[in-house]
Amino acid sequence: MARVEYDDVWKRFPGSDRVAVHALTLDVADGELLVLLGPSGCGKTTALRMLAGLEHPDGGDIRIDGRSVLRLEPKDRDVALVFQSYALYPHLSVRNNIGYPLRVRGLTLAQQAERIGRAAALLRIEHLLARRPGQLSGGEQQRVALARAIVREPRVFCMDEPLSNLDAKLRTHTRTELKALQKDLGTTTIFVTHDQAEAMTLADRIAVLDQGRLQQLGTPDDVYRHPANLFVAQFIGSPPMNILAAHRHDGELVVEEAWRIPAPAVRDHHGGTALTVGLRPEAITIEQDGGGPGEVLVSEPLGSEVIVNVKVGSALVKVRTAPDVRPGPGTRVRLAAQPGEVRLFDPSSGTALD
Amino acid sequence: MTAVGPQAAVQVDIPPPIRPRERGTPLEWALMHLAFVAIAAFFLAPFVWLFAAAFDAEATAYIRVPGRLTLDNFTYIFRELAFAKALANSAIVAGATTLLVVLTVTLAGYGLSRLELRRKGWITFAVLLLQTMPLSATMVPIYGLARLLGLRNSYLGLILIHAAIELPFLVWLMKGFFDSVPRQLEEAAWLDGRSKLRALFEIVLPVARPGIAVAAGLSFISAWAEVLMVIILVDKQDMKTVPLAFYETFRTAGGYVEVQYGLVAAMGVLYLLPVMAVFFATRRLMVRGLVSGTKGL
Repeated sequence: MARVEYDDVWKRFPGSDRVAVHALTLDVADGELLVLLGPSGCGKTTALRMLAGLEHPDGGDIRIDGRSVLRLEPKDRDVALVFQSYALYPHLSVRNNIGYPLRVRGLTLAQQAERIGRAAALLRIEHLLARRPGQLSGGEQQRVALARAIVREPRVFCMDEPLSNLDAKLRTHTRTELKALQKDLGTTTIFVTHDQAEAMTLADRIAVLDQGRLQQLGTPDDVYRHPANLFVAQFIGSPPMNILAAHRHDGELVVEEAWRIPAPAVRDHHGGTALTVGLRPEAITIEQDGGGPGEVLVSEPLGSEVIVNVKVGSALVKVRTAPDVRPGPGTRVRLAAQPGEVRLFDPSSGTALD
Repeated sequence: MTAVGPQAAVQVDIPPPIRPRERGTPLEWALMHLAFVAIAAFFLAPFVWLFAAAFDAEATAYIRVPGRLTLDNFTYIFRELAFAKALANSAIVAGATTLLVVLTVTLAGYGLSRLELRRKGWITFAVLLLQTMPLSATMVPIYGLARLLGLRNSYLGLILIHAAIELPFLVWLMKGFFDSVPRQLEEAAWLDGRSKLRALFEIVLPVARPGIAVAAGLSFISAWAEVLMVIILVDKQDMKTVPLAFYETFRTAGGYVEVQYGLVAAMGVLYLLPVMAVFFATRRLMVRGLVSGTKGL
C-alpha cells in the first residue's frame, strides 16, 4: 500500500532530440489503479520504468510514500513490474519463477511454498507449477507473471501492457479478472496501455500522455465526457469524438456551414466566433424525415448498435444509434445534438473551452 | 442460421494440392544416393585409415586391413616417446585456456552487449579487426615477447597465447548471444531483489548456457589442436604438447627417417578422442548455441 508521486519529472534519452517525458507531475493515491494511456512513443513506459528504477530521470523527483526513490536501486524500491513480454525466467519452472523473489528475500522453504500456493490458487495456475514457461500458452504465461508480481506483496504494482500479447477474447476476460484482483489486494497499481477501451474499463483514473506531456488526468468518465483537448477527445472513444468546424451566429452554432445547434456557454478564447465542436457519436440523434442537412453514406451494424456515417457539409459525422435504425445510403437525415454533450474547443490551441 | 442440406451443397472442383516431387525417377534416386555415399566415403576415409593403421603392426600410408591387430603402436608411443606427458601437457594447456577464455569472453561479451560505453562500436570492431590478422604474421613479435617475459617453455605462455588467439572471435560470438537474451529478464531479476551481478549469474548466464558451451567447445578444440605457437614457444621435451609430438613423429628429417605410420596413427587416435568426447558431451548445447547465437551477429 503506497502513494506514488511524480514531481516535475523529465527524461530525454541520450542521442535523441525528443523529450521522452516532459515535466510529468502525477499523484497516485494509495490503493488506486491509475492507467497511463497514450499512443506508442508517448513516454508512458518510460514513466513506469523510472518508477521501477530501470531508467533514471534527468530532472524532478519520484516519491513513494513521501520518500524519494531516485537514489534507490530497483531491488530496494519494493516495486513489482509485469512486463509486456512477461520476462519469465525460461530455465526455471513456474514454481521457481514465482518463488524467485521469495528466495531472494530469504524466506524459508515452508513460507515460500505457502505463498506460492496462495498466489497460484488466486490465479488458478496450480496445475502449471511443474512446467517451464516455454510449455505455457500466452495467457498462462501472463498469469505466472502476475503471480510472480503479487507473491512478493510489493508496495506498488507496475504493469507494462501485460494484456497486449493476448487474443481479444482472453484480453477482455483477463482485464475483468485483473481489476477484481487489484481491488481485492488493494495494492497501488500503475498500468500502462495504448488501448483506450482497456484504460476505460480498468482505471480508477486515467492519465493521458502524448509526446511525453500529460494531456489530462481524470476519472474515465471525466476523460471521456470532458476531454481537456482535441488529442484526448480523439484518442478516447471508439469511434472517437466527432470534431467539426463551427462558428457562432445568433446564439447558435453553425456546424460545417450546414447544421445549426444551440450554443452552450463557453469561456473567452482567441478564435473570435470560430470554434471547434466535439460531439460523441452517442450524443447525436438521427431523424429520418426526408429532409435535413445530413446525407447518409453508410451504416455499420455492430449487433448491439449501429454506427451511421453521415455527411454534413464537407465533414463525416459518426452517429451511434439503436440496432433497428439503419438508414440506407443517400437518405437525407436531420441531426440533433444533446445540449449537455456539446464540447467546444479553441480552434487554434485545441484546448477545451467548457 | 442458414439451413444446410443436400440442396444447399455446391459442387466445387478442388484442384489437387501441388507437392514437390519427393523421390524423382528411380535413376535420379540411385544417382543421388551414389553421390551421398561417395561424399561420405571421402570424409570417412581418413578416419578409417587412422583407426586401421593404429592397430596395424605394419601400417602403410594407404588404407589396408591390418594383417595382425596389435596395441604395440600405443605401447611404443607411451614407453619411448613420452606421449603421456604430451597428453597431460595438452590437457593442462587446453583446459586452462578454456577456463580463461570462457571467463573472459563471457564478461567481455556481456559488457559489449549491455553496458553503455563511449565508442562501444569502435571497441567492438577493433576486437573483430584482431581476428582478421593472420597468425603467422605475428610469430616473430610473439616469440620476442614470450622470450622477454620468460614465457617460453611454460604452461602460462601457452595458455595466454592460445587464449589471445581465440578471444576476438569468441568475444563477438558471446556478444551475439547476450544480445539475444532479453534485457527484461535481468531487469525482472533486479526488481525481484537481486543485485546486478547476482542477476547475471543466476538469470543471464543460465539462459546463455548454449553460447557458453559453444565458446568452451570451440576454445578447447582450438587450444588442443594448435601447433604453430607451440612450435615457436616450446623446445623442451617435457613441455611438448600432443600436436607437437604428433608433428615430430611425422617428420622424416629430410628423408633420412622413414615415417612410422602405425605410431602416427596411434597418436592420431589419442589426439582425436578428447576432441570427440568434448563434442559429444556438448553437442546438444553447441547445436542450439550455434543456431541461436548467429541471430545476434
